[in-house]
Amino acid sequence: MKLAGNDMLIQSLIEEGVEYIFGYPGGAALHIYDSIFKQKEMEHILVRHEQGATHAADGYARATGKPGVVLVTSGPGATNAITGIATAFMDSIPMIVISGQVAKHLIGTDAFQETDMIGVSRPIVKHSFTVDSAENIPEIVKQAFYIATSGRPGPVVIDVPKDTTAPDKLFEFKYPNKVDIRSYKPPIEPDPKQIERAVDAIIESKKPVIYAGGGAINSNASEELRRLNEILDFPVTNTLMGLGVYPATHERFLGMLGMHGTYQANMSMHNADLIIAIGARFDDRITNTPKLFAPNAKIIHLDVDYSSVSKIIEANIAVFGQVKNSLKEMIKLLEAKKELIDSKKIIPWKKQISDWKSQHGLNHEMHLCETDEQPIMPQAVVQHIYNITKGKAFITSDVGQHQMFAAQYYHFDEPRKWINSGGLGTMGFGLPAAMGAKLAYPDDEVICITGEGSIQMCIQELSTCTQYNLPIKIININNEALGMVKQWQDMNYGGRHSASTYQSSLPNFVELAESYGHVGIKIEKNSELKSGLEKALSIKDRLVFVDVYVDPNEHVYPMLVAPNGSLKDMWLDKETKT
Amino acid sequence: MIQRKLSVILENKPGALVRVVGLFHQRGYNIESLHVDPVEDLNEYRFVEEKLNINLKEGEVSHLIIATTVNDNLLRQILRQINKLIDVLMAEEIK
Repeated sequence: MKLAGNDMLIQSLIEEGVEYIFGYPGGAALHIYDSIFKQKEMEHILVRHEQGATHAADGYARATGKPGVVLVTSGPGATNAITGIATAFMDSIPMIVISGQVAKHLIGTDAFQETDMIGVSRPIVKHSFTVDSAENIPEIVKQAFYIATSGRPGPVVIDVPKDTTAPDKLFEFKYPNKVDIRSYKPPIEPDPKQIERAVDAIIESKKPVIYAGGGAINSNASEELRRLNEILDFPVTNTLMGLGVYPATHERFLGMLGMHGTYQANMSMHNADLIIAIGARFDDRITNTPKLFAPNAKIIHLDVDYSSVSKIIEANIAVFGQVKNSLKEMIKLLEAKKELIDSKKIIPWKKQISDWKSQHGLNHEMHLCETDEQPIMPQAVVQHIYNITKGKAFITSDVGQHQMFAAQYYHFDEPRKWINSGGLGTMGFGLPAAMGAKLAYPDDEVICITGEGSIQMCIQELSTCTQYNLPIKIININNEALGMVKQWQDMNYGGRHSASTYQSSLPNFVELAESYGHVGIKIEKNSELKSGLEKALSIKDRLVFVDVYVDPNEHVYPMLVAPNGSLKDMWLDKETKT
Repeated sequence: MIQRKLSVILENKPGALVRVVGLFHQRGYNIESLHVDPVEDLNEYRFVEEKLNINLKEGEVSHLIIATTVNDNLLRQILRQINKLIDVLMAEEIK
């Protein structure tokens, strides 16, 4: 089959099984767009801003585990995609970003809409390619998908000079069926010696904690983690990125750990004698001060990325490989050594943890308040959504207080249902990410829990939802301020709210949503909260924007004391420190 | 802390070198000296072929030598970060 460069590029994506491509056209990408027009296998979703394209592809990738695909033009199209690429990079999300580029003979001449995309994106990609000649397109696409999805996943940029996609030069097209990159061999199977050392440490432990993160979701290791803990019955905590990888309603689940983690999760980590880290990277939101982190714990660290192990916290036992495979091997060996596991040994530890939980656990009944004398509590909004959806919805979020409330109060029993920007903390992520998840799972409920600050960073995508009829639900937890910034200003800056309020400049969100053709609902009283949310979620064929006015003075707790605190040092409310 | 020398074998492709050099600044490390040449005499590089089970051709890879002053932990971290780059075949300390 003979094809031109533009058709080879699109045919290569079809060979990779791409269903959706999120993008925005422009001069340097026009040959490619013409090829998209001529085919029917995949659908192009026209966003309203390239940042939306990257987040939508990212949401699709997080929900499905398949790579998200983005197509943008050169110059501003490419640079607008940068925030979304960095978001995917920080959270290890597989993504392919195809950026148009000026023709090869113009590169370096400051041509119209020319930007060195490879240079600009270099620190925030797993790898990048420039198409030097049309003939190489199939090989480059094959390698790009392999790199993006294998090992520790991440975004890969393919920069495509316009002349390499010219429709008038034909080449023989053959899509490679295998790929081998001699300089890239990510670990897959763990070293059996390390598995043995890990299992021995597990059997000896008296105060163990399993700490699982986003890497366990990326590796699709949820099933293995559950099976492992059927044998061990150890307490489990998840990072913000790991929520859902272990069922939140399981008796052994401690809740999220870290900056806004639960009291019992942080106390368990601090006092543990063994931490089994599974696809987690000891981020600074988790460890607090690294020198004070879990002073008595031995660390077993399972990860696919060599550079994530012993980066912040020294691992005593490192297990490199796909964590799914490492867990399988651990399960096998534990089953063989079953008679050595003494479940009585950890009874006092479980008792201690259950005491911590009853002392300072989260209040999961804030939604029961129905008096209109009191303001709506943001936590109650999340609790109602959880109850109405029976915990089955895909929840995307933006960044700030609403994100932490969603993480604390929506109990995820399955992986990939919780979609948020954990590493980069990108405001504006939630709405486009919900679009990607909804396209992947049109029959599932997809809810974006956001705030009035974040939603305005990508609000133009309401128009995309109209064009493609994406009936997602947006719950805007509106405290009329940049809540998390304001919380820090309350706690650390004497209550001086520098640039964290809008001085009555917020739009009428209900009318705004309606002008895009959506349904808008405003909720201001506790007595309206449950019925209003029920009504919103009962509308299945329209996008509903719910603007909920909540207590503007509420803070997120627990909150780690920083700097110089450990995991046991927490604010439990505005007055109480541990 | 003493100065360490790192030896990096990478694909001789456009853009490969800048990924290694850029990494130092991204991760907060400092480059004190830098030397790079395409590998012409393969006899000195048989150990790379053996370790990775590959065959090299003349001029196909480059040899980069970087000097930096770091402690042992950071050295290990830098080497792991460099090895993670897709175009890098091998990175180790010259002892």
